[in-house]
Amino acid sequence: MEESLFDQPKKKTSQPKARIYTVRQVNTLIKTALEEKLPARLTVTGEISGFKRHSSGHCYFDLKDENTVLPMVMWKSAFGKLKFEPENGLAVLATGYVNVYPPQGKYQFYVDSMTPAGLGALQLAFEQMKNKLAAEGLFDEKHKKPLPKYPMRIGILTSKSGAALGDIVDSIYNRWPVAKLLLYDIPVQGEGAAEKIAKAIKDINKRNTTLKLDAIIIGRGGGSAEDLWAFNEEILAREIFASNIPVISAVGHEIDITIADLVADARASTPTKAGMIAVPDIKEVQANIDYLCENLTDKLRWMIQLGQQNVDELSFTLSDLMKDIFSAAKNTLSEFLEKILRIEPHRLLADKKIALNNVHNKIAEKINRILSNAKLQFETQAGKLFACSPKSVLNRGYSITKNAATGKVITDPSDVNIGDLVATELANEKTIESKVTKK
Amino acid sequence: MAKKENIDISKLSFEQAIKKLTDIVGKVEDGRISLEQSLDQYEQGTELIKHCRGILQKAEKKIEQISKKKEE
Repeated sequence: MEESLFDQPKKKTSQPKARIYTVRQVNTLIKTALEEKLPARLTVTGEISGFKRHSSGHCYFDLKDENTVLPMVMWKSAFGKLKFEPENGLAVLATGYVNVYPPQGKYQFYVDSMTPAGLGALQLAFEQMKNKLAAEGLFDEKHKKPLPKYPMRIGILTSKSGAALGDIVDSIYNRWPVAKLLLYDIPVQGEGAAEKIAKAIKDINKRNTTLKLDAIIIGRGGGSAEDLWAFNEEILAREIFASNIPVISAVGHEIDITIADLVADARASTPTKAGMIAVPDIKEVQANIDYLCENLTDKLRWMIQLGQQNVDELSFTLSDLMKDIFSAAKNTLSEFLEKILRIEPHRLLADKKIALNNVHNKIAEKINRILSNAKLQFETQAGKLFACSPKSVLNRGYSITKNAATGKVITDPSDVNIGDLVATELANEKTIESKVTKK
Repeated sequence: MAKKENIDISKLSFEQAIKKLTDIVGKVEDGRISLEQSLDQYEQGTELIKHCRGILQKAEKKIEQISKKKEE
């Protein structure tokens, strides 16, 4: 029928009679003409404007030139495959086809795929994701979980068949052969890889009360940007961020930095470096243990010595105290003993002393009496003697001085005056006279 | 003085024993206990000292053994 719509005018150009078309017919004509005249697929370049994403998931926008606009439609299915986020003002290459939307009498470009014009699509997508997640703080240092110092159980998420597996395992075992490694075989590239890795992380976290993993290493070897793409996807980034178990990324070569690297708690630049990041060197650990052991032994020896000293001191003190107590007790005892011993002799001695005193007194009394008798006798005799011969003493050099004028014995200076003559009677009744010159 | 405690000295830790020993020395030093009591305390103290020395000797031996093992 459509064909007849075109054919008729061609055939009937000679005929003057104008044909009247319905709106539907015109739209159908245009649609058919477009389908015939335009390539089935074409790529158009322009700048995105008025980008809208409907809740249905379909997207509507325009591609702009300087003066012209081309309405664009991108179905949800096509949009889902986009590696970047379309933004207004972004120059893109859109591939698809042009078709008419009859309900609005509007032709539209239906986009199957789209890439950014300047930058590579992946690069752009990476930058966009990086900016978005950075703005949310997913890369912030404060969210980085510290890696365990001595991880004993490590989950390795990589492809069972990839070279990265061996690299990671070797790099760990060379340094830290004591760790138990658990492999989680995951696809590391291609459609759905990011989802599967994310799910694996989620599952491991859920089961970690039994798995008891200390750390997770997510890794793969080097490859093209497309190969590594799974590690730039948001779903994986968010799961790494949400993981309670510290995540170490070990993706690609040194120069490849993925979103996973940025959000992970630590990054190994390559799978062969995973061990350096994830585990300690057992030699160093051993050396440290030896050092600690040495220290501990020394410390313990010192403590024992201190303890010995303590016990010794207490023991000495106790012995000394006991000695003191006993010697004090002994002293007290011997003092008492002495006292006891002293009690009888004292009493006896006192009695003897009294007796002695008595005797002594009696003797003294007697002697005194004898003495006083003798004295009395002597004095009597002597008195008699003196009375008998008073002048006998003159013979021994004594003399009697008299006042020559009065003949009175001089016993006192008043008995004479200056100038008086005194007569001194010597032995044998001889007398000398002298004059008082001074008194 | 408190009546003679019936404690099993061999079950005391080193710290407990030392504490007890210090208490005993303090009591005896104080001189407020009878001679007989001090003798009791002395006996107990001697036991404690023996016990402490035993613990220390054991610890010393153990350390020697461990450090020997380590060097093997």
